Amino acid sequence: MTLRLASFGVRGFVGESLTPRVAMDYAAAFGTFVDGGRVLLGRDTRYSSPMLHSAVLASLLSCGCEVLDFGICPTPVLQFSVRPYQAAGAISISGGHNQMGWNALTLLGRDGAFLDPATGEALLGAFHATDFLMRDAMSIGAREVVSDYFAPYLKALSAQVDREAIRRAGYTVLIDPVGGAGCPFLDDFAREFGLHLVAINQDPSGYLARDPEPRPRTARQMASFIRHVKGHVGFVLSSDMGRVSLVTDAGEPLSEEFTLPLLVRSLLRQQVGPVVTNCCTSRMVDDVVAAAGAPLLKTPVGQAFVAARMTDEQARVGGEGSGSVAVPEFSRGFDGFLAMALVLDMMARTKESLAALVRSLPRYHMVKKSAVSGSRTAYLVLDQFLAQSASFGAESVDLTDGVRLDWEDGWLHARVSHTEQIIRVLSEARTREVAERRAEEALRLIGQGL
Amino acid sequence: MKESLKVGVSGVRGIVGASFTPQLAASFAQAFGTFIGRGPVLVGRDTRPSGLMLEYAVVAGLQSVGCKPVLLGVVPTPTVLLMTKELGARGGIAITASHNAAEWNALKFVDRRGLFLEENRAQELFDVYHQQDFPMVEEADLPSTSTLANPVEPHFKRVVDYVDAAAIRKRRFRVAVDVVNGVGALYSVPFLRDLLGCEVVAVHDAPTGRFERDPEPLPEHLGALSRAVVEHACDIGFAQDPDGDRLAIVNERGQPIGEDLTLAFSARQVLEAHGKGPVAISLSCSRAVEDVVRGLGCEVTRTRIGETNVARVMQEQGAVVGGEHNGGVIIPEIHTCRDSFAAMAVILELLARTGKSVSAVRAEIPGYVMVRRKMPARAERAPEALRELRRHYTDRKMNFLDGLFIEFEQAWAHVRRSNTEPVVRLTVEAPDRTRADALADEIEQFVTAFLD
Repeated sequence: MTLRLASFGVRGFVGESLTPRVAMDYAAAFGTFVDGGRVLLGRDTRYSSPMLHSAVLASLLSCGCEVLDFGICPTPVLQFSVRPYQAAGAISISGGHNQMGWNALTLLGRDGAFLDPATGEALLGAFHATDFLMRDAMSIGAREVVSDYFAPYLKALSAQVDREAIRRAGYTVLIDPVGGAGCPFLDDFAREFGLHLVAINQDPSGYLARDPEPRPRTARQMASFIRHVKGHVGFVLSSDMGRVSLVTDAGEPLSEEFTLPLLVRSLLRQQVGPVVTNCCTSRMVDDVVAAAGAPLLKTPVGQAFVAARMTDEQARVGGEGSGSVAVPEFSRGFDGFLAMALVLDMMARTKESLAALVRSLPRYHMVKKSAVSGSRTAYLVLDQFLAQSASFGAESVDLTDGVRLDWEDGWLHARVSHTEQIIRVLSEARTREVAERRAEEALRLIGQGL
Repeated sequence: MKESLKVGVSGVRGIVGASFTPQLAASFAQAFGTFIGRGPVLVGRDTRPSGLMLEYAVVAGLQSVGCKPVLLGVVPTPTVLLMTKELGARGGIAITASHNAAEWNALKFVDRRGLFLEENRAQELFDVYHQQDFPMVEEADLPSTSTLANPVEPHFKRVVDYVDAAAIRKRRFRVAVDVVNGVGALYSVPFLRDLLGCEVVAVHDAPTGRFERDPEPLPEHLGALSRAVVEHACDIGFAQDPDGDRLAIVNERGQPIGEDLTLAFSARQVLEAHGKGPVAISLSCSRAVEDVVRGLGCEVTRTRIGETNVARVMQEQGAVVGGEHNGGVIIPEIHTCRDSFAAMAVILELLARTGKSVSAVRAEIPGYVMVRRKMPARAERAPEALRELRRHYTDRKMNFLDGLFIEFEQAWAHVRRSNTEPVVRLTVEAPDRTRADALADEIEQFVTAFLD
């Protein structure tokens, strides 16, 4: 049971659940959904991505789609490009933050956002009924290779920040794209912003030299030598370039939870507007948004939900605690290149070091734990947990996605993972002791149910 | 019910956009990879617009079960067969519906000897397919694809080395070739011009897969070629099918001589100039071929219809040449598959050696008239019709190698279900048109009565 299928994407373990057949049917459902229109196609560097790329191409062509093939392309760059290339949508083939062996197809709509869960019902219907648009043999679609898409992307990205200020600062920057889709583009990015680039894992071989999920423990390698190369900031990315965690000039590998609040604070200082995040992101975000006097809206976990809400609310900025940031005015995608540019912009504007900028954020302690659950009982267990949660004495209960309990000094969130057979428990509080105690108690109650 | 899908000894074939989906192609590729085991598999295709789409599907299917796709691109089917053997690959897949209309396409499966799967092996493959259990390899073991540059070069070299190319070049033949917008559009002109020293006029030579004539090289479809032969005063006209395995000839006066005589011409040249030996031909071949071969003191064996069946009997008997009525010529010393390029070279060699024109060579071959008919038939009715026919002609000599082959005094009739289309095929051969038509009418009326 490793297949996760939704209207905005399908994720699975290659050779076990993510087969060419699943990829072909899913792509054919998308080709049917866009009625054989123009579709962008990009992939990361994983070993299984070329195989999935062929499978997806076959289906899109059979639907009569005009496929603009971007080859190896970061998901956020593909998301940005959907509108300028006037496509009906896009498919990104990338394992993202998942370990080797996993891969996924992500579906992007006309606006470049993850396909809105509400509008993807027809697509799932076509998938399950295997009822696909099929053009006749003389009307098969065509594939065109596109290779000059990064320059217009980079130009638009530059316009989002104070490029000259960044160039003047002459930063030394460490970037680790984990051998993924970002590798071929780092040099252009560095040149654009006048960076002295120290790249790690820049060989786009598909071999993942580290866990591709950006977080402190995957940033250790970078943290160990950033001071030796006098780096001003280090960026640790996922293989699709969607997520980023930071390493400070002092050599501290920051929790991925810091990326969003740092950038929200910086962006709201320039222009106030609504902020969207999910219901289990660090309270640091709540605090910086409140300080700026902006509205904060919360959604279930996942880029698809955050993106849909960003559009509805005409948000200034959105993102998740996983190290994901989007600025809708620029693009509807969680974008690691954008996040890197915004961090540099923040440093250049304030003329402060990253370590100093981080020190001025309110500090919380977050504990992330999980309990292994069966796939058929996880939601029943969560219901039992909700029934017993009164014993926690929380001030409020929220059911946007799973169960969230809030206290004056912190919160606790339990939900069923969308990608693994586990129940995730997040607990955040002013002190580590309190966060730990609440998480342990929640795990104990959940364990009784299991 | 979709009648357009055919799964049989000649592979899996169907109408793209109806029964033949990319999912089906990927599943068959997975089944084939599972069947032959991990290793390199050659993939080639003809010019049909659906070819690339199916190639992607086949590539994904092969990779998923651990087979490394080696892409040949758009190449003649005989090149796929030959190179599979030459490179020591596990197998090959030719994506082509050969002489079928452009909306059809097919996967044809090649074993490591460079032969299409024979019937029993094909049946085993279909068993694997129907089981739908294709053990996929882990991500880390997925093979990459590779591309073989200039794959026709070794193929053409073998052909040119076989014939007396110098003698052909010396004659500076003027040749018209109708490549039917197929693979010949990429290769036939350079082959004839650069390797055999011919002056070449090509018709239907855009490699689009949008066939400007009916893709079967039957006499009634060769008007443009005939005009080109006359207009440019050519020595000969050649008509290929879209994937370059079959060949028909037009004489120097612009008249098609009938595709069944391609084999008679080729057999004569092979036996006279390259050494005598046994010959194997399919049931539907003209008696003219038998007469030519026997006239040279060689033995002829009739085989079941189908390239695989002919090729297998040829191997068993050590045949030096063989083929089918449809313009498919096999010369094992080059390779054991139908090859229009080999046939063109050998026929030009025949003209060069004898110094005769096409019509003069034709005049030396006994004349028969062959009549072919197609009768639309739902699959389930065809055996019944054949059974009744067998009872009707119970006093005639017959063989049942493939459908029903009935011998008359100076004529024969062959009735069988097509492997590639929902029709019953009837072929009748007799010394003249009147007798052939009369016999064909008699059988067609009888069979049609049962099919309705």
